[in-house]
Amino acid sequence: MADVNGSAPRPAVTVLVADDNEVAQRLCKRVLEKAGYAVLIAADGLQAVDIALAQRPAMILMDVAMPGIDGLEAMRRIKAEIPGMPIVIASAHSMASDRERFLAAGADNVLSKPFRLADLIAIVQSLTGAPTT
Amino acid sequence: MSWTRHLVRRALPFAALAVILAIQALAVAPSVVAFPLYLTVVLVVALQQNRGESLAVAVIAAMAVLFLPLATGHTSELLPAVLLAAVLLAVAVTMSELTRHMRDAASAEQRRLDGLVASERRLRAMVEAVDVGLGLAELDGTWIQVNEPLAALLGRTRHELLRTTVSGLTSDEDRSSVEGALGLLRTGDITHWSADVEQLRPDAQPVPVALFMARIPGAGADASLLVQATDLAARRRADAMRDGIAAVRQALITSGAVATAMPEVLDALRTYLGWARARYWARDAEMPADGLVGRVVQSGVLAADRSAVAFPVVDAGEVVGVIELTSDRPRAPLDDEVTLLATAGVEIGQFIRRSETAQALRRSEADHRAIYERSPIGIARISADGELLEANPALLHMLDHDEETMRSSAWPDILHAYDQAAARSRTASFLAGITDGSSVQVRAATGAGNWLWLQLTATSIPDPQGRLEHVLVLVEDVTAVRETSDRLAESLEAQREANANLEKLDSTKSEFLSIVSHEFRTALTGIQGFSELIRDGGLEADEVRAYGGYIFNDADRVNRLIGDMLDLDRMESGRMTMRTADVDINEVLSEAISRAVPSAVTVDFKSDLDPRLPIVAGDRDRLIQVVSNLVGNAVKYSPEGGTVTLSSRVEGRFALLSVTDTGIGIPQDEIGHVFERFRRVRSGAAQSIPGTGLGLTIVKQIVEMHGGKIWVESAVGHGSSFHFTIPLTPEGAGALQLRHG
Repeated sequence: MADVNGSAPRPAVTVLVADDNEVAQRLCKRVLEKAGYAVLIAADGLQAVDIALAQRPAMILMDVAMPGIDGLEAMRRIKAEIPGMPIVIASAHSMASDRERFLAAGADNVLSKPFRLADLIAIVQSLTGAPTT
Repeated sequence: MSWTRHLVRRALPFAALAVILAIQALAVAPSVVAFPLYLTVVLVVALQQNRGESLAVAVIAAMAVLFLPLATGHTSELLPAVLLAAVLLAVAVTMSELTRHMRDAASAEQRRLDGLVASERRLRAMVEAVDVGLGLAELDGTWIQVNEPLAALLGRTRHELLRTTVSGLTSDEDRSSVEGALGLLRTGDITHWSADVEQLRPDAQPVPVALFMARIPGAGADASLLVQATDLAARRRADAMRDGIAAVRQALITSGAVATAMPEVLDALRTYLGWARARYWARDAEMPADGLVGRVVQSGVLAADRSAVAFPVVDAGEVVGVIELTSDRPRAPLDDEVTLLATAGVEIGQFIRRSETAQALRRSEADHRAIYERSPIGIARISADGELLEANPALLHMLDHDEETMRSSAWPDILHAYDQAAARSRTASFLAGITDGSSVQVRAATGAGNWLWLQLTATSIPDPQGRLEHVLVLVEDVTAVRETSDRLAESLEAQREANANLEKLDSTKSEFLSIVSHEFRTALTGIQGFSELIRDGGLEADEVRAYGGYIFNDADRVNRLIGDMLDLDRMESGRMTMRTADVDINEVLSEAISRAVPSAVTVDFKSDLDPRLPIVAGDRDRLIQVVSNLVGNAVKYSPEGGTVTLSSRVEGRFALLSVTDTGIGIPQDEIGHVFERFRRVRSGAAQSIPGTGLGLTIVKQIVEMHGGKIWVESAVGHGSSFHFTIPLTPEGAGALQLRHG
């Protein structure tokens, strides 16, 4: 289900979106695919870890409040296996202290929900390099 | 010369004999004629000369008598001459013997007379020398002879006294008895008499005298009286002084303090020594700087004037006061009185120091005793081996024991309790661990059975050798302190808890805010993102529809969130008003089912309602909200084809309502938290189920506002049962009883 742009001339840059909220999943998938990325979806923390280790996406957009293990724990486990994996925490926990907390936990960047679509694309591009369109 | 006279006197008789012989020879007279002459010579010599001489003269005379007859040859005359010579010799012997006897008798008589004279002289000297008035009087009382002491005693010369009589000098009061005695002595009815009488001096001053009269037998009517008069004034004064010093000592001994002793001392001195007034001047009082008292202070010795005497009260050589004795008539202290007063001064001084020391000691002792007796702190004196020696009243009162019980059981119990506690905490026992000033606290039971906290503070009292003799233990009832401190600790704990609660509340509040903002932002993420997509255009029509649906759902969710939050806030702050009316619970349950059915096509509904359930008092809309929420949850968490069952029945005074599903159930670690806000079960199959997270919190509030309770039973994979109770009205309960009856 992730491989939408299978016919692209070069293999698309893959982004893993880990979010338990279906609306958020759909929004990100729609926006990033439109921007030329291949999008993988994980609905909770454990799935996120499994997919990240198995598929090795270019980066991960990670929600925090998820059932099972939360986004921060998932990030810790992934970074333990793949230290260079760029991970952006995208959370509705958007107080200033939260941002610090996430960066301290090892996040490469933080995207506060709700977000402007352009911000989403910009932050993904900054960590993956602009996909060829 | 006397030798010459002696020779002449001794030669004279021989010359006389020679003369007679010559005359006889011349006259040629017969010896008989000359014999008387010879005899005279012999007699004279024998009377005057000693025996040897008279014999010598007698022999010569005898030879002279014999000479002529022998010389003439007249033998006829020889025989008579021999006879005459023998007579002469015999006369001489006899006479000289007689003379010797006479001489011996005369010298014996002379010696006797000499002895008498000497004896008389000695007696006279003795009579004069004795310190007793002696006199000799006629039986009628006329003085014959008096000695000098008697004259002095009665204030007269011996010559003046001889002109008076024994009774003539006696005072009027005593005179008759003296005269009576004289009468009896005169008649011989009594031989002696004695009495204390007053004799009068020439100035009419009475002299106390011990008078003794004895009849001395003489020849016939020559009997006379021996009168002895002893001066009682001296003896009385000596007695008075002896009694006075005794009284002073008695006052000092029996009286503890100077203040009480001094009046008695002064009184004794005044009365026994015969002074009119006595006064004590303490050294530190306003004592006169001049006069007798001043002189005594300056000189440190007794001083006297014509009618007063003052003597120092001395302690360790220092004048600490002066006693002054005054008289109304001229009165000088006598020698022995001076000695007595000096002695008294020293004794009184010593007494003053002793009594001051004793008083200070007594005061100190009394002070300490008072502290011991009246101290509000309990004091126990215990021996080195822990035995109670003494307990003060405060301690007995504190523990409500008498001294005997205290000693035999209460005190050992206290020590035992302490030692047990010490053993538990591995510290020394009371006696082994005792150090001065250290305090321990023990529990102790009073006689009335109350329990006290006692604080024991020990002070060891060593004996003079420094060994522990006994221990003073101060015992304070610190029960109130302990209880107060316990209460304080409790209230501190409560305060701490309240603070923790406040902090928790605070953190709960910020956690709540964080969660709420998270919920809103999550909902807004879809709304904002999809509306931005739609705004930017370029979408297919079905895309727009779908995105519009997301937006609507999230907006609706935000709306419900806001509504739930406001509801909860009103309920928790007590601002939610209930519109209470009669409610048919079964009807509420049916209503909830009918509302849920259209949107819950995948589950079956069952109802198991007790038709006898009475009407309750409640807010119908709120109760429908409760049941709808529970039904909604049941539907949400039920898989397709599940069953939701609603039941009602009476349970005691409550209506018991249950909503049971066959859904996914609640994990064990979550079940305790389902009624907390934003505690949505998100694990496993529940993760995609929407909700505000406030529904069950609101449900619980509504049930509790009705006076009921709510709880849940659940098992993962088997479903959940939410039960809640609503109290029946008394009428409803009564009606139920009737129906049952």
